[in-house]
Amino acid sequence: MQLVEREKLDKRIETLKQCYGNDRSALLPILQDLQAEYGLLTGLIMQETAHALGIHPVEVEGVATFYSFLRTDQKQGKYVIRLCRTISCDLAGKARVARQFENELGIRFGETTKDGLFTLEYTNCLGMCDQGPAVMINDRLFAKVTPQMVPQIIMDCRQDFLKTVFPEITPSDVQKEGPILKNALPFGEGLKKALTLSRSDVIATIREAGLKGRGGAGFPTATKWQLAGTAVSDTKYVVCNADEGEPGTFKDRYLLHAQTDLLLAGMTIAGYAIGAQKGYLYLRGEYLYLRKHLEKSIEKRRQSGLLGKDIQGKKGFSFDVELRLGAGAYICGEETALIESLEGQRGEPRNRPPFPVDTGFMGNPTIVNNVETFIDAAIICAKGPAWFAEYGTEKSKGTKLFSISGDCKKPGIYELPFGITVQELLEEVGGEDAKAVQIGGASGHCIPAPEFKRNIAFEDISSGGSIIVFGKNRDMLQVAKNFMEFFTEESCGQCTPCREGNIKILEGIELLEKGRCSTSYLNELIRLGETMQLASKCGLGQSSPNAFLSIVEHFKNEILGRVPEAV
Amino acid sequence: MANILIVDDDQDFVEAVKSVLVSGGHRVVAAYSRETGMDAVKKENPDLMILDVMMEQPDDGFAMAHDLRKAEFKKPILMLSSVGTISGMTFDKDSDMNPVDAFEEKPIKPERLLAKVKELLGA
Repeated sequence: MQLVEREKLDKRIETLKQCYGNDRSALLPILQDLQAEYGLLTGLIMQETAHALGIHPVEVEGVATFYSFLRTDQKQGKYVIRLCRTISCDLAGKARVARQFENELGIRFGETTKDGLFTLEYTNCLGMCDQGPAVMINDRLFAKVTPQMVPQIIMDCRQDFLKTVFPEITPSDVQKEGPILKNALPFGEGLKKALTLSRSDVIATIREAGLKGRGGAGFPTATKWQLAGTAVSDTKYVVCNADEGEPGTFKDRYLLHAQTDLLLAGMTIAGYAIGAQKGYLYLRGEYLYLRKHLEKSIEKRRQSGLLGKDIQGKKGFSFDVELRLGAGAYICGEETALIESLEGQRGEPRNRPPFPVDTGFMGNPTIVNNVETFIDAAIICAKGPAWFAEYGTEKSKGTKLFSISGDCKKPGIYELPFGITVQELLEEVGGEDAKAVQIGGASGHCIPAPEFKRNIAFEDISSGGSIIVFGKNRDMLQVAKNFMEFFTEESCGQCTPCREGNIKILEGIELLEKGRCSTSYLNELIRLGETMQLASKCGLGQSSPNAFLSIVEHFKNEILGRVPEAV
Repeated sequence: MANILIVDDDQDFVEAVKSVLVSGGHRVVAAYSRETGMDAVKKENPDLMILDVMMEQPDDGFAMAHDLRKAEFKKPILMLSSVGTISGMTFDKDSDMNPVDAFEEKPIKPERLLAKVKELLGA
């Protein structure tokens, strides 16, 4: 019997190899599909997959245990209920929703019901920060969940969702459109214009526009493209980082759905400019429900001659895009970790230099850009660099999409020019009473009211677009705790400052909660945070203490000397 | 004797190259950034340019070569950079992406530099 099962499994793996490829880079999608079918990656599954790809089973287990959406220990239920526990959903009342799920199912988080129907799990940021608390059940998404909705949701699951009408994709709340969202471009315009230019002129156009990476780091896009484009190599890659995992960020979720053609056009333009033949769209596992839409859009462009061979009649220019799905690892938003993940490895960041433009996917020149960056690039090619440079500041040209959540009247997506002050932004979103604003997500900085005159721009406060507003009654220590719980969970564990430092800071916060932290120990924690900023290997570790340090700096009086609640 | 402009943000390297080229009988002018380099081209009208790549931005030299050709600068450009060593990748002249006349890796032996300059001036 076991032999029959094994043969069946081997056949299935062979079919998946034909779909995803014969090399190591096919490992993650193969494991994802096998888990979906078998509910668990057993030792046998990992062993047979390893044999099929010619790697050691331990390597497969290393990968399978790295990603939170892959399971090797306990069979997952038919319905995996994933409740978002990050800051915005926390502010929106996640704790009571969690308690009600536990009450209804009679299990704790991390457990599966005895009938094998439900698994209850916490997950980090589902990208529904403006519509929290959010719950993902398999590939379906529930927004603004309340405790009283919980029994109905469970009943719907028991009836295979037959009685519930789901929107294919939960609508986004776009509160303010600007020149990018209101681009009104005819279909295919950006790519058409770009293909009339030489490769170097495309890059010169992007340079003249002053476009900087919209993921948050603000690296000049043209520089990235220029280095990859000039490098001598027959094989180059374009990668779209759609692993939008920063707590408080959800604008890419909207763009991936509403501006799909511009995104794919931007990737194709980048492919033309750098001389790449292949692009990967790395979509975070939490956005699984967007997969169908994206694959359909890619196929439509192939049929229209906008992807594939000799695109739009341009002889010799071939480019195609393949969708790859992440598996629940925040760290894969870091570009070298993303490339590792694409290659079928654990998503652990690489040493830099060399940078991905030089030695990226499979050792070839690779550019990795954010979803919004590709869209901006496509519009710039259509409308010209001067149009784009009209907006923003001297060093931060253009507009930026912001994801606004937390304690404000109008959360949602806003397109605003770079250079706007925090105060102006708060007036726009109805958050004038805020006592602090977290800019740049969990890895960003907490800005207190006296600093609301500062500008959101690369030359002052840089941001990938995540803005979380904290009202007057928010406990800033709880905010810091939520961020540090997030980083403790999401650290890849590769380097000591990040792996151990985040745990130590979280323990320190728990001491502060109990009113048992001396000032001298708090100072030790501050020094530890500063060491992490310097000594961690990648951006995650370097930025993970930011929120804690800025909260301690600005709200010391609020967090020290607490009297613990009576037991 | 030729009028040579070197654009490189490494002042020590510029001094070393200058002494080599002066010993070869050339007149050498230096600029230390892409922006001042473009001004110097207009002012000096050099017979040959020696251009670094990684200056204020890691791709300044590539961008400047492109700007120069757009501005109808037709004199030879020798790109001299360690960008290949630092990145581990290969770079070369390319009529579209890197419109220079020769690409040489730093460090370069004085005799090779003089020979290359001679070759480009004779071309």
